[in-house]
Amino acid sequence: MRINTHPGNIKNHTILQRLKRKTREFLDENSFLEVDLPVLSPALIPESYLEVFKTTFIFGSQKNNLYLTPSPELFLKRLLAQNVGDVYYLGKSYRNSDPTSTLHSFEFTMLELYQMNKNYFDIAEILLSLLNYLSDGKKITYKGNSISFSQWERISVAQAFQRFADVSTGDLFNHERFLKVAEKKGYHTQSFSYEDVWSQMYTQEIEPRLGMNGYPTLLYDYPKEFAALAKLNTYNLTAQRFEFYICGVELGDCYTELTDWKEQNIRFKEEQKRRKQSNRITHPIDKGFIQALQYGLEPCAGIAIGFDRLASIFANVSSIEETQVITISTDES
Amino acid sequence: MKTNAGNLKKGEFIMYQGAIWQVQKADFYSPGKGSALMKSRIKNLLTSKNIEYAFKSNEPVDVLEVTCVEMEYLYKDAENVFFMDQRSYNQYTLALSVVGDVAKFMKEGNTYYVYVHDEKPLTMRPPTSVKLKVMETEDAVKGDTVSGAKKAAKVETGVTVMVPLFVKVGDVVTVNPETGEYGERVKE
Repeated sequence: MRINTHPGNIKNHTILQRLKRKTREFLDENSFLEVDLPVLSPALIPESYLEVFKTTFIFGSQKNNLYLTPSPELFLKRLLAQNVGDVYYLGKSYRNSDPTSTLHSFEFTMLELYQMNKNYFDIAEILLSLLNYLSDGKKITYKGNSISFSQWERISVAQAFQRFADVSTGDLFNHERFLKVAEKKGYHTQSFSYEDVWSQMYTQEIEPRLGMNGYPTLLYDYPKEFAALAKLNTYNLTAQRFEFYICGVELGDCYTELTDWKEQNIRFKEEQKRRKQSNRITHPIDKGFIQALQYGLEPCAGIAIGFDRLASIFANVSSIEETQVITISTDES
Repeated sequence: MKTNAGNLKKGEFIMYQGAIWQVQKADFYSPGKGSALMKSRIKNLLTSKNIEYAFKSNEPVDVLEVTCVEMEYLYKDAENVFFMDQRSYNQYTLALSVVGDVAKFMKEGNTYYVYVHDEKPLTMRPPTSVKLKVMETEDAVKGDTVSGAKKAAKVETGVTVMVPLFVKVGDVVTVNPETGEYGERVKE
């Protein structure tokens, strides 16, 4: 690994820093409370698809494991349960096993915000206003495409699979039928889960088509398998989750939050089991998080935005690295 | 040799859907829904077509073992480029479409590296730079001092390269054969 200095990126870095300032201005103006939070925690929310960083606190004979937070969610939800109201964090998050690539870095800046008594579509409204504020109400240009934040292009996950991948809604939600369709399309399905193959087809056939029509795309209602901490829709087939895209780049992930602590507890145990199966670092489950939900979390919705990615779009550069002045490369050479 | 797609690297050769492909790009991507992926661009060495494909990072992929053999470039015609292995004197043929624009910068009689798998040539390993003599170019106009200004120069392989104004007929310059960009003027 190597430390790289990029004085040539100062102009793009300035755009990143300006976006941070403007985001704070906008959210403060809209009565959100900004909080600064720890990035080291003794327990985490179990997420089966993320690897974490583990370190140790040492004092004399005392030794305690600590983990870098892959998102500030566990802290923010505690605060929400204490009725702090609309709240946000703009700072670093950490994901291990994410080598440096055009869209990833193991250390990155995340904007995570929550609004009380709102659902995911309400968040979409305030998000669009934020994007408009960041662009001064003007269109931006990214890779030759002109993007306006005057409206969303809205499409449900089921519609997107039908339109772009020719997968019917009946096939999309049925594991066996979906894997058959994928096999026919030439995907490797043997010994892979519905989630893995779904995610591959999504990346291959859906994502490149999103946010390509002059507006950001809001892709909503994911299969319940990808509910994570989101509330399910009626009939329990889909979760109240959306992601938004500009020119094929995923920028944020929003849920109407699950407030049922019993359901949350079940999902945590499943995620923890999957983590073990895929040989990930074991960490204590954050029981305080469940207790906070038990204490009573009012209906709310929240979104996490990859801020470096957003800045790279505004700076019209193809990798997040180009918005940074110091980077750590994960190459082994 | 089977490996997980997560280990794929640019330049490697893989067997995929019954054809041989060269990896042009392999970028880690974690969608946060399902396992991580390797977003790749691969080039079919038969049709020369590039496709984008997202492999699951834990999906088994057949990586071919190849050797890199030094060969003399003999000549090319409208469709093929011909090489000779200088040790065995065996001749090898590559489609011009597979070699690509690099062929425009290759000098007959020079040696280049060719990737070989199972006695079959796959593609060339393009040199990072080639030395070429300037055959035709206009003299620099006196007083033209715009820094970074370029002019066209025809080099000995017949292709035109943009060079700085100080380059004269008879000079030898280096060119990156993959991009066609001028590098520097060298003494022969």
